[in-house]
Amino acid sequence: MKKKKRAQVPFRLNILFFVVFLLFSALILRLGVVQIVYGEQYRKEVERTENVTVSTPVPRGKIYDRYNRVIVDNVPLNAITYTRTKTTTPEDTLKIAERLAQYIDKPVDKITERDMKDYWILTRKEKAEKKVSEAEKNALKKKGLSDKELDKKIYELTLERITADDLKEITPKEMKVLAIKHELDSGYALTPQIVKNKNVTNQEYAVVSEHLEELPGVDTTTDWERRYVYGNTFRSVLGSVTSDEDGVPRERLDYFLARDYSRNDRVGKSYLEAQYEDVLHGKKAKVRNITDKSGNIIDTENVYAGEPGKDLVLTIDIELQKRVEQIIQEELQATKRKGRSPLLDRAFVVMMNPKTGEVLTMAGVLLQKDGSGKAKFVDYSIGNITSAYAMGSAVKGATVLTGFQTGVLHLNTYIKDEPLYIKDTKPKKSWKNMGLINELTALKQSSNVYMFKTAIAIGGGIYRPNEPLDINPKAFTTIRRYFSQFGLGVKTGIDLSNEINGFQGQNTSQPGLLLDLAIGQYDMYTPMQMAQYVSTIANGGYRMKPQIVKEIREPNNNGKELGPIIRDFEPIVLNRIDMKTEYINRVKEGFRRVMQESGGTAYSYFASASYKPAGKTGTAQAFYDGPIKSRQNESTYNLTLVGYAPYDNPEVSFAVVVPWATQGESDGINNRIGRRILDTYFELKAQRTSKTKNRSSVDTDGGTTSTNLKKVSG
Amino acid sequence: MDMVSFYDTEWNIMEQDKLPQQKVDYNLLFILFLMAIVSAIAIHSAQPSLPEKLQSVNFVVKQLQWYIIGAAVIVITMIIDYDRFFHFAWYLYGFGMLLLLGLELGLPGTVTIKGATSWYSIPGAGNFQPSELMKIFMIIVISRIIVNHREKYPEPTVEEDFKLLGKIALATAPPLLLLMRQPDLGMSMVFTAIVCSLVLVSGVRWRIILGIISSGLFAAGTLVFIFFQFPDFFHKYILKEYQLDRFYGWLAPYEYSNEQGFQLIRSLLAIGSGEMYGKGYRNLDVYLPEAHTDFIFGIIAEQFGFIGASIVVSLFFLLVYRMVHIALESHDLYGSYLCAGVIGMITFQVFQNVGMTIGLLPITGLPLPFVSYGGSSLATYMLAIGIVLNVRYRTKKFMFSSDE
Repeated sequence: MKKKKRAQVPFRLNILFFVVFLLFSALILRLGVVQIVYGEQYRKEVERTENVTVSTPVPRGKIYDRYNRVIVDNVPLNAITYTRTKTTTPEDTLKIAERLAQYIDKPVDKITERDMKDYWILTRKEKAEKKVSEAEKNALKKKGLSDKELDKKIYELTLERITADDLKEITPKEMKVLAIKHELDSGYALTPQIVKNKNVTNQEYAVVSEHLEELPGVDTTTDWERRYVYGNTFRSVLGSVTSDEDGVPRERLDYFLARDYSRNDRVGKSYLEAQYEDVLHGKKAKVRNITDKSGNIIDTENVYAGEPGKDLVLTIDIELQKRVEQIIQEELQATKRKGRSPLLDRAFVVMMNPKTGEVLTMAGVLLQKDGSGKAKFVDYSIGNITSAYAMGSAVKGATVLTGFQTGVLHLNTYIKDEPLYIKDTKPKKSWKNMGLINELTALKQSSNVYMFKTAIAIGGGIYRPNEPLDINPKAFTTIRRYFSQFGLGVKTGIDLSNEINGFQGQNTSQPGLLLDLAIGQYDMYTPMQMAQYVSTIANGGYRMKPQIVKEIREPNNNGKELGPIIRDFEPIVLNRIDMKTEYINRVKEGFRRVMQESGGTAYSYFASASYKPAGKTGTAQAFYDGPIKSRQNESTYNLTLVGYAPYDNPEVSFAVVVPWATQGESDGINNRIGRRILDTYFELKAQRTSKTKNRSSVDTDGGTTSTNLKKVSG
Repeated sequence: MDMVSFYDTEWNIMEQDKLPQQKVDYNLLFILFLMAIVSAIAIHSAQPSLPEKLQSVNFVVKQLQWYIIGAAVIVITMIIDYDRFFHFAWYLYGFGMLLLLGLELGLPGTVTIKGATSWYSIPGAGNFQPSELMKIFMIIVISRIIVNHREKYPEPTVEEDFKLLGKIALATAPPLLLLMRQPDLGMSMVFTAIVCSLVLVSGVRWRIILGIISSGLFAAGTLVFIFFQFPDFFHKYILKEYQLDRFYGWLAPYEYSNEQGFQLIRSLLAIGSGEMYGKGYRNLDVYLPEAHTDFIFGIIAEQFGFIGASIVVSLFFLLVYRMVHIALESHDLYGSYLCAGVIGMITFQVFQNVGMTIGLLPITGLPLPFVSYGGSSLATYMLAIGIVLNVRYRTKKFMFSSDE
């Protein structure tokens, strides 16, 4: 029965076998595809165990002034670099160093004793071996150390036992090898390390380039060195970059590493260079090194060509800046020469466009004694925002406006200028008794008493001669609040780090101090705050954020024209002051009289100026807190000047601050500087207009412009 | 007992007509011997890439021990006439079901590995997977069902064909359900493969087979359609996202870095980088997970290249060819069906295991028969081979075969 096999079973079995055949064929086919067709790809993928990306630096962005003159440039340098792999041994670098030593010169000054000892062990293996005896090694072995620890111990012992005589064996020729090896060893794996970038001769560069083949890891490239075209001018604001030995600042290592920096990258260290690091740095070129399993580089691909850093265009007029610094230096010297200003060692000038807040000049000069006791000028432009001084009467514009706003003064308020006798206090008075005066005259002649009486009124006090004065301490807060609307005593908002608020007197219990505050002799302000304050008055009440960067631009390719603008910094109004325009105009009129009316405190200096300036002088009795230790707290006078021009349509405002200028004798250094910087400003302006006119219509009125120029500068 | 005596007498009559021939199929045994060598070499070369805790175990020696045990299993299987299997089919089935139910109920001694409760722990012998035995029992039972059906309906109508399918389905469903619940996808697929090959050989009408195939394809197509058109519905009612990982890892290993994707990438790297001639003995660059068991084919292909891998695949093909030959030679329906079931089982396992290492199929935890290290699976295959040899041993060659 069962034996009666039906014919269809063998047939079906054959079908089954056919299916099996098909399935196995599919396997073989697919195997062929994987192993033969794509086999090589898979093999390469297996061999490429490491794809390591190396970033090579690109030139840093340049910095230009407002008229597109290069202030900070990059100078290309021939550089020889070395890139270590992860498996590079000291023997490898020694071999490369020996070869490189034939081609390049390298000063030996950086070699340490440890370098020499390591080198000695590496090159004199047999002798080094003998430094630690077999018996000692066996003793160490018995301590149950792992091989690694054991080797380390033995190496340390050997290092200790190398004598000075041993090191004398190292010949000068070997020292050169060692100097190169020191550089080769100090890099990080897969990061190009500069072996030599200073004074690489064309000869060296060429020879090394020729022999790259036998120098694995070595490359000849272009390195960039930062060049500050105007030397010390404005240098303290421009800041600086780290050297490639310093690399990334250690305290911010994580920050930079997270942003794709290498440890030996040069980064902005201070001020503008640091502030705009992101912009200036650019994007590094990326090269992917494909290594095999033993860490040898078998292929390199360019992943990303990189982008040079973007350029900064500053609002600074570098020519003006330079000339202003020159003026300050000359005036400082002139005043010092008179011999009556022992404490004088610095002066500041800020010039800005009052309508936009663009800082045209930010000059600070410091007279410093160097090691040999010789005095020399150093740049201290950053002091304009990092140091504060008592500014004196220059703040009186703010005092008058505070009086208007608090209602204690009205337009054309007459107050009697007379010495104030407050009980237990020295008499407080102006430089002369002016009698009954209104606010215009008070500003013009710089009446202290007018301001005192205003402050007393703000504080709700009543002045009776020879009686104690009672004042509500809240008046300090009131006055300071109004002052801060002009920027006095608060940060100006300039885009530089380390700006200070100034210094506020802490004692608010003595009424006399409130009177001092009203004439700028109590709180201290920075020169930049003074410039902001006077700009706020000049432009009719808008506190502008001082701007130092005008534009960020794409890097230029041809080295001549600037690249397209990426970001334009619009003027920023920080706040509009509360005071009515008619009040502000009143103060402006007072400021005009200071310089343009006979009897004004700066009239003698500015009467002849054709650009119709307005401003306010300041003399503050201050207590010395400068660098000379022995004369701390000595009484001295700060001379200041704020102003703008032309008075009816101001295009430039300025603050001049000369701390510790005299010991009581009159000296117009503040006014002299003020006059000269304004003259320079308008002179440069005339030059620029004549230049553009010449360019646009050379044939027609070339002659007229030159006469115009004469007129203006005369 | 009656049956046995009947058989014996018949045997005696037949024997005289038989041509002198080797009753034991030495070809098959030789192929098996080659398999043992391949297995030893592959496991030995995989040893260095095993995790540290497994380094101390000498898997080659253990595998050879298992081969010896397997040989004993073959001998034992061959002693019993395969017709005995016919008689005891349902008892064996019942025994296997009990074991599977034990796993389902979580009796003491059950072992759960990677979330699947598929093993019993046998003291001294390691873990034992009852579903391995159940595969063999399924072959025995379904072959019996088909033989009985054929005897009852020598000229089956369409209706009767469906009746047979129904019987097979009834016998298959319970163990399959239990397997799904373990869950053991690989083993469920093997069961399905066994049933499919037996249905193919059972003589069910082509129309019906084609109907089943096309409805299967249609169902798969519908699932894919739902997956792309109504993914929310699909994830909610059909397959959970994590269950799909296997498919994602298979179809897009580089996008889905799940475990399966990772394994497939490693496996493709290993096999692909072997290229035509391989990297040479014990030259392994790519780390493979489960190198001595599931991914042993990757080890072979990496070391011995396309040539070596093809030889191993061909060896399996020869094995199957030999078994088909035995099935064809057998004049006994039951013997042929047994062989067909074993063919289906081994073919599918080889195809699945090799296929998954080269990205042809999704990755499931099925070992490569005879080559992967593993006691209970090797014993099972040896048992299967034993059955085939048994069929061959008791096949009588007629001088004039009436059928052919």
